[in-house]
Amino acid sequence: METPENLRYSSDHEWAARTGTTVRIGITDYAQDALGDVVYVEAPAVGSTVSVGAAIGEVESTKSVSEIYAPVAGTVIAVNEALADHPELVNADPYGEGWLCEVAVEGEGGFDALLDAEAYRALTD
Amino acid sequence: MDATKHAPLEDRHLALGAKMAPFGGWEMPIAYPSGTVVEHRACRNDAVVFDVSHLGTVRVSGPEAFATLQKTLTNDLTRIQPGRAQYTHLLNNAGGVVDDIIVWWVSEDRFDVMPNASNTDDARAAFGGIDVTAERVVLAIQGPMARARLEGIAPEIAAVPRFCVREVTWGGATVTVAGTGYTGEDGVEVALPLSVAHAFFDAVLEAGVIPAGLGARDTLRLEAGLPLHGHELSATITPLEAKLNWVIGWNKGDFIGRAALEAQRAAGVARSLVGIATEGRQPPREGAEIVVGDTVVGTVTSGNFSPMLGHGIAMGFVDSSAALSVGDDVAIIIRSKALSGRLVPLPFWPPRES
Repeated sequence: METPENLRYSSDHEWAARTGTTVRIGITDYAQDALGDVVYVEAPAVGSTVSVGAAIGEVESTKSVSEIYAPVAGTVIAVNEALADHPELVNADPYGEGWLCEVAVEGEGGFDALLDAEAYRALTD
Repeated sequence: MDATKHAPLEDRHLALGAKMAPFGGWEMPIAYPSGTVVEHRACRNDAVVFDVSHLGTVRVSGPEAFATLQKTLTNDLTRIQPGRAQYTHLLNNAGGVVDDIIVWWVSEDRFDVMPNASNTDDARAAFGGIDVTAERVVLAIQGPMARARLEGIAPEIAAVPRFCVREVTWGGATVTVAGTGYTGEDGVEVALPLSVAHAFFDAVLEAGVIPAGLGARDTLRLEAGLPLHGHELSATITPLEAKLNWVIGWNKGDFIGRAALEAQRAAGVARSLVGIATEGRQPPREGAEIVVGDTVVGTVTSGNFSPMLGHGIAMGFVDSSAALSVGDDVAIIIRSKALSGRLVPLPFWPPRES
């Protein structure tokens, strides 16, 4: 399983990458592997306000459904439109083309409380 | 509960990187690293191999074997003969399906009866026989290229026709082959003694057959409109409700559950199995309500994303009082939201010419 050093992680298996006030969110390699083949992603609505730990969407595989929980608080400003027709990108490239959405945060928005790669690895070992 | 059973080929599955999961009391491969969707498509387009050793094999033999099975199971064995396979049901007295079973009529006085993994004990209680499950591995090689790929490594196995059963020699051992499967594709199922199971599995993979897990087997059987016990069939669902009238040998004598089925046939069923195609990729799921407007008319028993069709598909039971027919619009309620769908004929795959 890959756990890139430059990302932060939630204990619910989301990753977060901050660029200025924008935080990009996805599910981890560990999460996509546990789910199996992803066939459907329900993304949050652009413009919706999310709080830390709130359910903001769903990832469904051929065998189960898993909720996506917001790792940070803020306003959803973009969703990955490519997942509508190609949800398998979540499996193929969970930290890249398989990203889920972007949230504009005020202040740090809970980002600083997220796990670093080492702590997340310890959680999933 | 017994300790989890392990497939004799578990070492091979783990070496291939399979994701293992409990299945009917067995630890079995759910998917290989290629993933369920790729494995599913490989079965529709080429050939795959499933380890289905978790299915039971109960050997019923001797001069009374035919009569015992004929008076216990629903289907009529006089429709077939030695060297043939038959799909049949074991019912309770209320007409509910205790198990659905494939009978391999191997030779005059020998039947290898294959119940579902967890129902083997119920099956033996009904018709006796010896549980030989632990003595063999069963591999299902399925897909339009299954026979062609087997031709080079096991021509006698490749040649067993659909719904025929043959004993052939492979690697010096006697293996039992049936032209059966659970995917909607052509193929064979092979019961091998443990002594040659690893060698045969290796040869099958070398012949270019792709290993597939039970995850793909489930999406394949759903697309093919085939029932799964515990979902479309159960002790409280009759074969008539599941629209499997052809499994009942009405022209033979008594069998367990016959009286209840005759009463239901006369009165009509209160619900029946339907296929529903849904819009978009979201998989409908077991337990979801089927509605027309604000009225609940039924429940989904199996649902998933169809890799071949690219949208959701479901099987479920709807009330006869709703008077639905193919083409009617319904909705499936998933976490309080309505997913639009339409009744379609089964199987979902292959799609009918229209």
